[in-house]
Parts: sequence; structure tokens; C-alpha cells
Amino acid sequence: MKAIFITLLFALSLPLGLFSAEDLHANSHNSVSVGAEHVESGGVISELAGNFGISWPTLVAQMVNFCIVALVLYKFAVKPIAATLDERQQKIADGLQYAEEMKAQLAEAERERAEKIKQAAIDAQKILTESREQSKEMIEQKTQEAAAQAEAIIRKASEATELERQKMLSDVRQEVARLVVATSSKVLSRDLSDAEKQTFSDSAAKELASAGN
Amino acid sequence: MKRDQKITRLAKKLVELSKDNGVVTEAKVGEVLAGLKQVQHRHHLTVLKTFLNYLRREIALQTAVVSTPGPLSGEALRAIEANYSKMYDRPITAVTKKDTSLIAGVHVRVGDDVYDASVAGRLQRLAENVS
Repeated sequence: MKAIFITLLFALSLPLGLFSAEDLHANSHNSVSVGAEHVESGGVISELAGNFGISWPTLVAQMVNFCIVALVLYKFAVKPIAATLDERQQKIADGLQYAEEMKAQLAEAERERAEKIKQAAIDAQKILTESREQSKEMIEQKTQEAAAQAEAIIRKASEATELERQKMLSDVRQEVARLVVATSSKVLSRDLSDAEKQTFSDSAAKELASAGN
Repeated sequence: MKRDQKITRLAKKLVELSKDNGVVTEAKVGEVLAGLKQVQHRHHLTVLKTFLNYLRREIALQTAVVSTPGPLSGEALRAIEANYSKMYDRPITAVTKKDTSLIAGVHVRVGDDVYDASVAGRLQRLAENVS
């Protein structure tokens, strides 16, 4: 910053120096005669100054002028520019630091993502294994249940068949018994004589009469 | 409901009054009916119906309905009367009833009790045992 300031001052003082040199050159012809008078009356320094065309009041005025200009420039140009540059430099530094932090965070996030992916893969594998085991158990269970149900259905069918058979046999027995009874009744009604019926009735009456004794 | 209970109790008492030595007789029943006619109960018809039902039941308990396909000897009938009178400890009167479906034998019913010694009944029991 200082170097910039000095360069700026040099750049600003250069036109002033040129202007003063031109002014001095214009006055040199007059000053030669004046210098001769100084040499004659002053000393070596005055003579040298006279030879180089230096006019002390002009030099002092230029120096004061230069200082004022330098101060004004420093106050209203250099200082804000320097502040802006410092601010920008700070911003750049902050940006770089932020970028570094972001880079670190990105790396961390990448690492976490990789870990999570790895963990997710492990979990997925675990879930897959468990699911396979569960499905295998479920298949076995369902198979057993289906077998049990099939067995129960077969057993029930057998029982139903047996019941049906028993019912059929019972119906057949009943029908046979009914036919036997009907046939026997008809045969007995036709074949038994009245005397035999009377004898049987008397015998049955005696049987009932003696039943309670 | 209370009225029905009263009528029932009255009918049962009337049935008891209709008995002579534990047997419902026509004369006693006539006396009871004459008494009822004199009293003129408020629910006369209901009392008479209930009395008739209990009277029928009582007569059925005192009667042995002997069903036979043919005539039965008097000796056999008396033997049946004596036996069931002794069994039920009340006088039982035997009444014959012709039933040719029995083929042969005797079928006796006393109240709700049935005694069967007929050929048809035996065949029926045989059929039931077979099936």
C-alpha cells in the first residue's frame, strides 16, 4: 500500500516538477545575470542554486502545494481505496477460508455419505437375509398348514363318507325292518286263524295280568 | 292368570267331589253339576270346561283300554282289572276296544301308560331293535 502511495505521489509530483523546471528555464536568462550578482554577493550555495535555476520561494510554495495535494489525495483517494482494497482482501481471505471450510465440510460429508452408504448396504444385506429367512420360515409354515388343512379335509371327508355310509346302512336296515314287519304282519294276518289269534290274545292278556305280580 | 288358578283349583275340588270311594261315578257327577247350576258361578262355562277336562283325565286314569283284534274272555278282562287296580292302588275298570291292526295279542292303555303284548307291537319293537 505504501509503495502504491509513493508511486502515486511520484506520478503526481512529476508534472509539477516539469512545470517548475519549465518555469525555471524561462527565468534562467534573467537569473544568469541575477546569479552573477549572487555569486558576487552570496556564496557557493546561492551560486549553485542560481546555476540550477532554483528559486527558493517557488520551491517552498511548490512543496507546500505538493503536501496539500498529497494530503487531500491521501484523505479522499488513497485512504478509501486502501480501505476498499483491505476490505476486498479481507473478503477474499474470508472467501478462501470459507472455501477451505466448505472443502473440509464437503470431504466430511463425502466421508459420512460413504459411511452411510456402507452402513445402508450392510443394513440392506441384513434385511435381505432376514427377509429370506422369514420367507423361508413362512413358506415352511404355510406348507405345514396346507398339509394339516389337507389332512383335516381328508379326515373330514372320510368322516363324512363314513357317516353317510352309516346313515345309508341305517336307512337300509330301517327299510328292511319295515318291509320285514309289513310282510310279517301281512303273512301273520293272513295265515293265523281266528282260534290261534284268540289263544294268543288270551295268553297275552294273562301275561299282562301277571306282569305286575 | 289368578282367575285361571282359582278355576283350576275349583275344578279339581269338583272332581274330588265327583268320586265315590275313589271312583268317579255318574251319580256324583250329576250331584256336582246340580250344585254348580244352583251356585251360578260368574265364569260358569270356563269352570265347566275345566271340570270336564279334569274329569276326562280322572276317568282315563281309572280306565284300562284293552285293545284286541278279537273278543277277549271275561276272565282275562277281570284278571287285567285286578292286576292294574293292585298296581296303581286304585280301582281300574277295563274297557275293550277292537283293533285289527294288532294282528293278535293285547294292548292296554291306562292314562298315559301303555302296555303292549300284541304281535304288531312286538314286530314293531323288533324292527326298532334291528334298525
